[in-house]
Amino acid sequence: MWNSLILDPMVNSLLWIYDVLANNFGLAIIVFTILVRLITYPLTSQQMKSTQKMQELQKSKKWQEMQKKYKDNREQMAQEQMKLYKEMGVSPFGSCLPTLIQFPIIIGLYQAIIRALAVTPIQLLDLSNHVYPFINAAALIPLRNYFLWMDLSLPEKDYGLAIAGFGLPILAILVVVSTFLQSKLMTPPSTAGDQGAQMTKAMNLYMPLFMGYLAYSFPSGLALYFVTSNLVGVLQYALMGKLDWGNLIPWKKPV
Amino acid sequence: MKPKYLLFLLTLAILTILLSGCAGGGATTASSWPGLTLDEETAYLAYNTFVYAIQLSNGSLKWRYPSEANRTASFYADPALSPDGQLIVGGYNHVLYSLDPKTGNMMWDFLQAKNRYIASPLVSEQGIFAPNSDDKLYALDLSGNLRWTFNTNGESWARPVSGQACDCIYLASMDHHLYALDRADGSVIWQSEDLGGAIVGIPALSETGSLYIGTFNSELLALNSLNGKILWRVPTEDWVWSGPTLAGDRLFVGDLAGNFYALNAGNGGTIWQLTPGQLDGPIVGSPLVIDDSIYFGSESGTLYALDTSGAIQWTQTTGGKIYTSPKQAGDLILVAPIQSEELLIAFDRDGAKKWAFVPEPK
Repeated sequence: MWNSLILDPMVNSLLWIYDVLANNFGLAIIVFTILVRLITYPLTSQQMKSTQKMQELQKSKKWQEMQKKYKDNREQMAQEQMKLYKEMGVSPFGSCLPTLIQFPIIIGLYQAIIRALAVTPIQLLDLSNHVYPFINAAALIPLRNYFLWMDLSLPEKDYGLAIAGFGLPILAILVVVSTFLQSKLMTPPSTAGDQGAQMTKAMNLYMPLFMGYLAYSFPSGLALYFVTSNLVGVLQYALMGKLDWGNLIPWKKPV
Repeated sequence: MKPKYLLFLLTLAILTILLSGCAGGGATTASSWPGLTLDEETAYLAYNTFVYAIQLSNGSLKWRYPSEANRTASFYADPALSPDGQLIVGGYNHVLYSLDPKTGNMMWDFLQAKNRYIASPLVSEQGIFAPNSDDKLYALDLSGNLRWTFNTNGESWARPVSGQACDCIYLASMDHHLYALDRADGSVIWQSEDLGGAIVGIPALSETGSLYIGTFNSELLALNSLNGKILWRVPTEDWVWSGPTLAGDRLFVGDLAGNFYALNAGNGGTIWQLTPGQLDGPIVGSPLVIDDSIYFGSESGTLYALDTSGAIQWTQTTGGKIYTSPKQAGDLILVAPIQSEELLIAFDRDGAKKWAFVPEPK
């Protein structure tokens, strides 16, 4: 089910794009990521709208008064919150559901990159069972793993670009910076005293580091996907007219 | 720590574990099948985190290298015995090791390769020729000193073959080409045309000077070993993984669709063929031919014994998947399945199981 619905179509799309792009797997990953982001754009857009609605609600006078009024009665507060959600037409799960739906796509994409690269005999044997007949596998396989300075099949820690004798994890740094940029640009400054403010702050700090760790430890094809996906995410947000570079200013006061 | 932070950290941890599970290819998750080499008394089996030396008389363990599992090192290529008493084995940790076949002690290591050793090295009195997945063939002397390297445009997963007539070696590459290289300095004597698909099997070399290879283009080809020109090519139903086995004037080979072919080595004509309906799965390893019997394993874990007319004499199931080519040890046929508790199984020529090697827990 997972293979036939998600993984196989992804693997074969990657192979097809690789064929079209003159056997450049790095470009294939970039183009494929952009396509996946475009296909899942309705989900992303819905997530952004829900998040924005939620933030507007939390800034409203009604919400603030309710927080004060029921600060000592959590159960009552929860009930009032639900009422307010209903009244304002906001779904509390509106922002996380699209994210959850995207999660299998991210996992599938990761598996597809690993499967298509097929760097070990078991992986290559496995790939041979999942290539659609219209793909000219004999001409394409094995895929060329190299893109710019990267070996897409190896983690950056295994080949890191050495500059002046120091191994620099350039990809991991790019992932950290682009994840940080995306999360800062797409998360408006939280309201002072907001319950989720600290959580958001922690997410904005730890998530880029975590993604950087993954980029450093897992095959570079995945890191290339992370960077592309982050940049496309920022671009999509910008095209929606919601980008606020002011969010990058640390001393900017919350609204 | 607040519950929200705990939940967040837990989510990150779960995500890491999920991605790690997807990655495969780790040292403890087998990413290939066992490599197997024999001398008169011992089977040397390279699989996952260890190289095992196993007594051929009873299947008991003599030694294993390293003595304790090391997550960073794993071994799958057939180990190779040198004429001066070394066991050469390449690891997925990019290191080529020389071990003492009697004790398993390391004698030297070669650290200059940049990727996995998936192919077995060719080892002879002239030195060691070790293809690596960094697209290079490393030629070393028997002390592990680098003599020369040769670059292809793809990885090499197949042991090179030694040519006697030309003092050269033949290297099959996943870049779709076969190369004849001067043994002394690695210069190219000839390079075949693009053969249409990757080659991961060891070429078979005849006394009359023909080289036989299978490709991922679902073909079996014969080439002239003096100039690399194609003599004939015949289609198969699916990819041919391992090289064919040459016995007299016949070639025996299987494909990934589960066909097994007996071909005329002179012109590639089919003498007989067993189809997927008669066999039970893809065939990856090269067959073993002894006298008038042919032995090969299938992905379904069945060891087949045929006679030279293609009639099935007997079958034995191993409970795993057989990708490694069977090997002969005197009157025994050795099979190394994966996904089986038994890592090495010895059958006699009638298919009776004589012993099995089950590795101790790590």
